[in-house]
Amino acid sequence: MNTFVRNARVLRRMTVADIVQQSIYRGAWIIFMAANICVPIISLLIWRTAIANGAGLPVDEQYITTYFVLLSFVTMATSSWMTGFLADDIRLGKLSRWMVRPASLLLGFVSNNLSEKFLKAFALGPMIGVLWWIFRASMKIPAGPGRWAVFAVSVVLAAVLVFTIDILIGALAFWMDDVAALAQARLIIASVLSGSVVPLALMPDWSRTFVDYQPFRYTVSFPVEIVAGGLSGSDLLVGLGIQLAYVLGFGVIARRVWSAGIRAYSAVGA
Amino acid sequence: MSGLRTYAGDRAPLDRNRLHKHWRHLRLWRRFLAQAVVRETHYRAHFVTTLLVGLVQFGLGIIPILLLFGFTSEMHGWSRAEVITLAGMYQIVTGLMAAFVAPNLNRMTSYLTEGELDAVLLRPVSSQFYLTLRWINVAELSNVVSGLVVLVIGLAKSGATPNPVEVVQALALATCGLVLLTAVWSAMSFLAFWLQSVGPIGSIYLNLVEAGRYPLVFFPVPVRGFLTFVFPVAFASTFPVQALGGDLGWWPVGGGIGLAVVALTLVRLLWQRGLRSYASASS
Repeated sequence: MNTFVRNARVLRRMTVADIVQQSIYRGAWIIFMAANICVPIISLLIWRTAIANGAGLPVDEQYITTYFVLLSFVTMATSSWMTGFLADDIRLGKLSRWMVRPASLLLGFVSNNLSEKFLKAFALGPMIGVLWWIFRASMKIPAGPGRWAVFAVSVVLAAVLVFTIDILIGALAFWMDDVAALAQARLIIASVLSGSVVPLALMPDWSRTFVDYQPFRYTVSFPVEIVAGGLSGSDLLVGLGIQLAYVLGFGVIARRVWSAGIRAYSAVGA
Repeated sequence: MSGLRTYAGDRAPLDRNRLHKHWRHLRLWRRFLAQAVVRETHYRAHFVTTLLVGLVQFGLGIIPILLLFGFTSEMHGWSRAEVITLAGMYQIVTGLMAAFVAPNLNRMTSYLTEGELDAVLLRPVSSQFYLTLRWINVAELSNVVSGLVVLVIGLAKSGATPNPVEVVQALALATCGLVLLTAVWSAMSFLAFWLQSVGPIGSIYLNLVEAGRYPLVFFPVPVRGFLTFVFPVAFASTFPVQALGGDLGWWPVGGGIGLAVVALTLVRLLWQRGLRSYASASS
């Protein structure tokens, strides 16, 4: 059987098993998602007040509202939380067990990621629906399914990009004892540069070029911008091209680092 | 009780009166603090890391404020300097919460699901006091100091010169904020008696409290009511800063104290109710 098909079957089995296991904690997912949506709502209210107060923002109320209503969904859909777990599995030798199995340890993380997001989407969907309804007068709804399709593709690419960066940092545990500080630093940098805290459109002019082309924009902000507006057809194409280039670039680097790490691994705990 | 067989002799009660009981608990808390300080001296790298992470997170929290005031010079009567003062006040109160309350309430799930509460109930101490205040993270006090520095800078930049009465009012309101937030978070954590796991509820608290970074008037009217009476983070930041600016009288202070007393009473009742439903997890 070809490797891709076999891996796909293993992934499907593991994802289904993970969903069944994780659904035991469905109450916890609902509460987690309620927590997740709090900060975007706070930011939304503050920035709307600023606009109503006459602040000369470079974006309008529609953009701000759509941005923050969609933000928690995109942040959830593109998130990854594996760095610490992957580093622990390498450091404590759990990787050894996976090396004799007919699937990669990383496939386990992919199934965990997909299954949790599946359940989180069920919890978060209705909350975003309510928020959308409350602010419906200020929401920007793209005409036609085209933009939504591009949005969906961009969210998937962003999720792959975040996951790949996670593998890259987690895999450093092959050579470093503790990658926690590095992971924390990356989280802090990413929270500002991805647009999770403040829309990147509100960043100062002097930072414009850097902010537009740095990789973290393509992990959260860019997919949201596709719906929230402000991107012309050519901006969209260039953006998708850059996003794809980052996915491929980081993918190649992560694959090389992972392969080098596997070769350097001395089977701790085996 | 006459049918109860006991081999222990008669003993004098541990506390002569209510005041003595409070004094004993205060002495106990001083021991917890001393022990926490000694423990911290063993983990100096932890202290430095907490300090650095606190500073970076504070910087991160202030970015939206700085960007916001890049587009306007004032918002609903608040200038940039006043909002920075508020950010300092918020940092002080949340730093105190992180030092004295968070290390305890974060353990609530394990207290209840792993049977650690059983051992606490056997000790001659108020179990609610013990579960809420036993552990102290001294390193978090560094964030209180940084908050104080930012508060002073904000006050200097805004040209405010609070008189002693206003300082007392601000202190009283910030204390009310601390007590009210502790009560709300405790109540959320005590739901563990019925829900078993309250980790996710803690994350709701930590996300909601972020609203305290902004003045109350920045929010729509219904949300202001929520942030004053239901999740009273306004007492931890907006009201104390308004008091320092001389914009508040004694009425809000009285209201805050009244609200704190009501909240503490409700939390006490919730704790007692929960304790009655507790069936032990270890035996």
